[in-house]
Amino acid sequence: MTTVLLVDDEAAITDNLAPFLQRSGFEVVVAGDGDAALARVAAGRPDLVVLDVLMPGRDGRSVLRELRRGGSTVPIILLTQVGESVERAMALEEGADDYLNKPFDPHELVARIRAVLRRGTPAAGPSLAAAHRLRSGSLVLDRTSQRVLRDGAEVVLTPRATTLLAYLMTHAGETVSRERLLEEVWGWSFHTSTRTVDTRVAELRRAVEADSGDPQLVVTVPGEGYRFAGPVEAA
Amino acid sequence: MRRAPLWVAALLPLAAGVVLAVLGRAGRLPGGRLFLSALPGDWALAAGAALSLLAVVGLGAAALRDRTWRRRLAERVAEAGQDRRLLLSRLDHELKNPLTAMRAATANLAAVADPAQDAAVGTIEEQVLRLSRLTTDLRKIADIESARIDRRPVDLTDLIEEMVDVARDLPGAAERQISVDLPRAPWPLPPVPGDADLLSLAVANLLDNALKYTPPGGRVEVRAREAAGEVVVEVADTGQGIPPDELPQVWEEMYRSPSARAVPGSGLGLPLVRAVVERHGGSVHADSRVGSGTLVRLALPSARHQA
Repeated sequence: MTTVLLVDDEAAITDNLAPFLQRSGFEVVVAGDGDAALARVAAGRPDLVVLDVLMPGRDGRSVLRELRRGGSTVPIILLTQVGESVERAMALEEGADDYLNKPFDPHELVARIRAVLRRGTPAAGPSLAAAHRLRSGSLVLDRTSQRVLRDGAEVVLTPRATTLLAYLMTHAGETVSRERLLEEVWGWSFHTSTRTVDTRVAELRRAVEADSGDPQLVVTVPGEGYRFAGPVEAA
Repeated sequence: MRRAPLWVAALLPLAAGVVLAVLGRAGRLPGGRLFLSALPGDWALAAGAALSLLAVVGLGAAALRDRTWRRRLAERVAEAGQDRRLLLSRLDHELKNPLTAMRAATANLAAVADPAQDAAVGTIEEQVLRLSRLTTDLRKIADIESARIDRRPVDLTDLIEEMVDVARDLPGAAERQISVDLPRAPWPLPPVPGDADLLSLAVANLLDNALKYTPPGGRVEVRAREAAGEVVVEVADTGQGIPPDELPQVWEEMYRSPSARAVPGSGLGLPLVRAVVERHGGSVHADSRVGSGTLVRLALPSARHQA
C-alpha cells in the first residue's frame, strides 16, 4: 500500500484530510511539525510527502531543502499559501514535485498525489519539477533564465507563455484543465475567460510546434484541457 | 503650540514699537521730534506697497500650508491603501486553513452521509467553495494593485473581438443582441502598453455584467475609440440601470446594490476592472439611468501617447 506522510500544524486539517486520503486508498502518517516530518521520513520512508509550507518552527520550505540536501528523492507536494505564481515557481525550483494552493478541493489533492506517483522519480538526477533545464526532443526550456530554445535557436515567448510551457512540461503526460491552468499559471480563480488559456496555448504552438495546425507537443484533449504529449527529461 | 515662536516673531515689531514709544514719552530717547512729509501720491504708493507686501506674505504662507496638507493627505491615502492590502492579505491568510479543513471535512461527510443529508452536505460544500473563491478574488485584487505587471503593446481591437466571441457563448447571450463598433478608418486603435491577460479579464468582466443585468431582448454595445492619447472603451447595455446614489459605490469591493441582489455575484467584478485599469494608468467611469441601462467607460493611455 502507498504510504503518504501528511505534514501540517493545523489539527483541523490533518484530522479531516487523513481519513479522506485513507478512504482514497492510501496509508497515512501524520506529522504536526517540520522536525517530526524529517524524523518520519528517516524512519518510515513514505512514498510521498504532502507538506504544508507555513508552519511554526521549521517550516515546509526548510523541510524540503533539508530532505533534498540529504539526497532524498521522495516525491513532495507542497501546500502553499502564497498566491503569487513566482513564489510557487520558486518552490518547484527548490525541489517540490507539485504544489497546491490552500484552500483546495481534497479530490484534487488525491488526483495530484496519483499523478506525481505515476510520474515517478527518474533513476538518476533531479525530478522534472526540480530540474533547471527541461528537454523534449529539440525543444529546451531553461527555467533559470526563462529562455526557450528550439533546435538551438532562441524562441521569443511572452513571460506567461513561458510559465505555461514550464507548467505543461513539468506535468507531461497529464491532462490539465483550463481552469487549473488559470489557477496555477495565472493565479486566477475568475473562470470567466478560459479563452485566455487558449490564446496563450496558440502562441506557444506557433513558437514550439513544427506545424501549429497539427500540434504534436501541446495537444488538446477535447472537453478536458491540454496535455504535453512529448517525452520530457531533465537536461 | 508649535507655531508659538512664529507668533512671537510676528508680534515682536509691535512690541518693540510699544517699548520705544513708552521710552520716548518718558524722554529716555535721544533727539527731538521727527517730522516726515511726502506728497499724497507717495503716501498712497507707500500704503499700497505695505498692503501688497502683507498680502504676498499671506498668500505665500497659505501656499506653503496647502502643499504641506496635500503631502499629508497623500501620505494618509497611501497608508490607508497599504493598511487595506495588509488587512486583505491577513484575512486571506487566516481564512485559508479553516477553509481547507472545512473542505476536507465536507468531503468526508459526503462520502458517509445518508442520502437524506445530501442536500445539507451539498449546501455546505457549495458555500465553502463560494467563500474560498471570495477570499482568492479579494486577494487577487490586492495583488493587481501591488504586483509588477507586463507592459507590452496590446492590440485592443483583437482583444475586444475575442472577448465578445467568448461572451456570445455565455448562457443567455443568444437572447440579447451584442454589437461591436471598433474603428478601422482612418486607422485602427493604437496599441496600449499593458498586460493582455489582465485587460481581457477586465473586458470580459464588463461584458459578463452587461449580459447579467440586461433582460432578454435587450442590447449590449461595445465601442472603442481613440481620444487625446487614450483608448476609450465603452460597454453599454439596456439593463435595469443603477440608481444615481449607488453609482459611486459600484467600484467598491463587495458592494452589492439592494436592487441587484436577485442576480448572483460577488461584488468583486467592477472593483477588479478598476484595479486593472488603474494599474495601467487609466481611469474608469460609469453612467446609468434606472430603467434605461448602464454605460461603463474605460480610458487607457495609448502607446502613442507615451512615446
